Amino acid sequence: MSESNQPTIEIRDLRHAYKRQQALRGVSFSVEQGSIHGFVGPNGAGKTTTLKILATLLKPQSGTVRVFGFDVVDDYQSVRRKIGFMPDHFSLYRQMTVQEYLDFFAAAYGLDLRERTRVVGDVLVLTDMESRRNDLIKGLSRGMQQRISLARVLVHDPTLLLLDEPASGLDPRARIELMDIIRELRRMGKTIFISSHILSELAMLCDSVTILDRGAVRYSGSISGLSQGNGETADYLLSLAEENPAAEAALRKVSGVIEVIKPAKAPQYRVSFQKQETDPNLLLRAVLDSGGQILGFQEVVRHLNQAFMDLTEPGVPPVMMEATDDAPPVPTVPNSGGRA
Amino acid sequence: MKLPVLALFERSLRLETRSALMAWSRAGLLILILFVMIPIQSMAKSGWFGAPGLHFLQELVWLNLVCITLAGLSYFASAITEEKEEMMLGLLRMTDLSPVAILLGKSTSRLVGALLLLLVQVPFVLLAVSLGGVGLLQIAAAYGTLLAYLFLVCNLALLFSVVFRNTTTAAAWTFAVLLSFLIGHYWAAGLEQYFASARHVNLQRGVWPMLTTVIDLWRRAAPSDRLGAIFQTGFAGPAIGFQVASNLVLGVLLFLLAWLVFNRCTREEKDAAPSRGWRWRRATRCSRIPPQLVGLRAVSWKDFTFISGGWPGLLLKFGVVAFLVAVCNFIALYFDSRKDITREFEGLVLIWVSLIMTAVCLALEAARVFQDEIRWKTLSSLVTLPISVHELAYRKVAGVLAGTLPLLAGLVLGGLLVPEKIGEFLNDLCRHPVGFGVLAITILQYVLFLHLTAFLSLILKRGALPLAVAIQYLGGSFFMTFLAMGLSLGRADPGAIYFIIGFICAVLTAVLHRAIGLRLTRAAAEE
Repeated sequence: MSESNQPTIEIRDLRHAYKRQQALRGVSFSVEQGSIHGFVGPNGAGKTTTLKILATLLKPQSGTVRVFGFDVVDDYQSVRRKIGFMPDHFSLYRQMTVQEYLDFFAAAYGLDLRERTRVVGDVLVLTDMESRRNDLIKGLSRGMQQRISLARVLVHDPTLLLLDEPASGLDPRARIELMDIIRELRRMGKTIFISSHILSELAMLCDSVTILDRGAVRYSGSISGLSQGNGETADYLLSLAEENPAAEAALRKVSGVIEVIKPAKAPQYRVSFQKQETDPNLLLRAVLDSGGQILGFQEVVRHLNQAFMDLTEPGVPPVMMEATDDAPPVPTVPNSGGRA
Repeated sequence: MKLPVLALFERSLRLETRSALMAWSRAGLLILILFVMIPIQSMAKSGWFGAPGLHFLQELVWLNLVCITLAGLSYFASAITEEKEEMMLGLLRMTDLSPVAILLGKSTSRLVGALLLLLVQVPFVLLAVSLGGVGLLQIAAAYGTLLAYLFLVCNLALLFSVVFRNTTTAAAWTFAVLLSFLIGHYWAAGLEQYFASARHVNLQRGVWPMLTTVIDLWRRAAPSDRLGAIFQTGFAGPAIGFQVASNLVLGVLLFLLAWLVFNRCTREEKDAAPSRGWRWRRATRCSRIPPQLVGLRAVSWKDFTFISGGWPGLLLKFGVVAFLVAVCNFIALYFDSRKDITREFEGLVLIWVSLIMTAVCLALEAARVFQDEIRWKTLSSLVTLPISVHELAYRKVAGVLAGTLPLLAGLVLGGLLVPEKIGEFLNDLCRHPVGFGVLAITILQYVLFLHLTAFLSLILKRGALPLAVAIQYLGGSFFMTFLAMGLSLGRADPGAIYFIIGFICAVLTAVLHRAIGLRLTRAAAEE
């Protein structure tokens, strides 16, 4: 595999336990270069543990974790030069001024005076904190402190940013501004691995996503793949003018239809079918032939919120990976059907 | 029926009684009593001294006095400040809890815990009567003294904990006032005598009789004076003296004062961010990292600047050394009937003042150098620098050591003033290996103490330094006992004893050194 298409992050069968509590149970996924990868899961799913392992703060107990091909245990110093880790809390020297804080980290990463003057200026412009450079950090608002944390992560120009809950506790404006900064960073060629609970924003921001639950991967792949299921089946919502049991029976008889669900009291039907065996036109024809009067017919696209709810429900089997060049596709994203 | 005012107090007591730490403390205390008793009995059997029971009681009571004083600096002084630092006091105030309920819950519950630690000793201390040389009345009077002093210390620390914003300031004020309380009356009496003899002041006229009475009451209120009287042979009471009554009354007054100022001092919740020390509030050209300090040196610069105080801190330390030397000169000229200050005197004073200041500063900084990073959750961002945790720790220590340069400069300057004394000292070391052994063990013990302080600061939320002092005090006592027994029994070569003790110190230091590295790595991951 050439360096250009080598995954930025490559995790294989990662396991980690705290005393008797198994935090990660064989986690495997990868993140492509230059992408924004969302990392979601309920509280206690193992997100922060994975992030800490990626940031070389924690040694994995088993499995392999590679960042740009460097092992996080054996080559931790190379990994640290490539990453910028922003933890889920403010890791700030609040007695310092903004300038002193960023200058300190730039110097600690080995930048000479001229270079760090330029870099500190650049990151302050990027995070829109230039006017506050001489203010004490302890006097800044939460949103500003978050921006300073992000600015600190950027001073050594890392290629991979590991952001743990960067938008937690921020007001809507600050969140939107933070998302803009992250998009700008992607345009600059950085890979961004972002853990967050704000799924709607992740859905708009990310190219790919990994959903983790109880230490196991429930899904890993593109956002579009998540929305469209596994690509082999499709869900459509059919609205009729009035109740028509004959139309429902006709739908069930169409070849390739997996199930027909009536989700509400209204005359609506949710139809799941195999794409290879049938197509939406055949469904429409079957309804019309049975005397049904169609008011609406649309594909059900699952949003990240919905997928998250479905995948993190108890009883959902783990490890559903989207097809990649290396790994054959496995069945993905089970549809609950009842929550359209 | 449960009183609302006692709700928090009751809850704290319940937690305290269930606390594993308290259970371990009680168990440790009992083991300690045994450790104190065994060597004393052995020495008494060897004819070193009579009245082993009295020696046993003395040893325990003085140890308790030191521990109570140290508890005042950490355990009691943080009662309210810890809530302020965690920005939780506002939430507590928003509940139905009244100020007195908060004070009882946060401080008096700790007092009860400490009282129990004292009382649990009593049945074992009664063994002193069997050992001989001490009566029940002396034991009762000694423990009464300690209980009253504990009550006073707790409430004094509580007052400062209410008044000040952080534990460090509260502890510093508690220390200063306790020190004045314990030994200030000697100085006051000395000054009074000086005025009477040197300035021919008639102490029977004007305000002097009243001052004399105040100084006398002060002396009688101090536990050290009272304990001195109790340990006299033939002590005949009373079991509860003026010291007990005065300490209890002062304690109550301090509690009432803390209650009175509680609302005023805690009305506004202020940011408990670490202090900027003596640096300008705004960044200046001087506050930027010097161009040559790149990479690991920047880490040292940060700790030199924000833990040791930076250049202003250097100047201040130099100023403190100069001030203390001036005070010594003043005392020598006016109280020690010296006619003039010699070069030799000046050099020796400078050396001792610099040594003591260096030891104190290093101990204070050892307690802060790693703990500040954990407390303010900044360790994870430092640990992700492309260096190992060990390099990071050494660089931080180097920054702190740079802050003691003016003190070492004082030491060198003192040495230059009395080169002949330094030469004599070195000659003595060469001629008497025992002296060399003592010096080596002193240095090793101090290095061990710094490691112990730094390690405790990584595992305890507060009180690392006082606890390290207590542990070192105990260790020092055992060392002295071990040494004395070895030498008195004539069975051991002093060199061998020094070697064993030095070896133990070195091994313990190495273990703690390793443990600090492991704990730092773990703490960064736990943030």
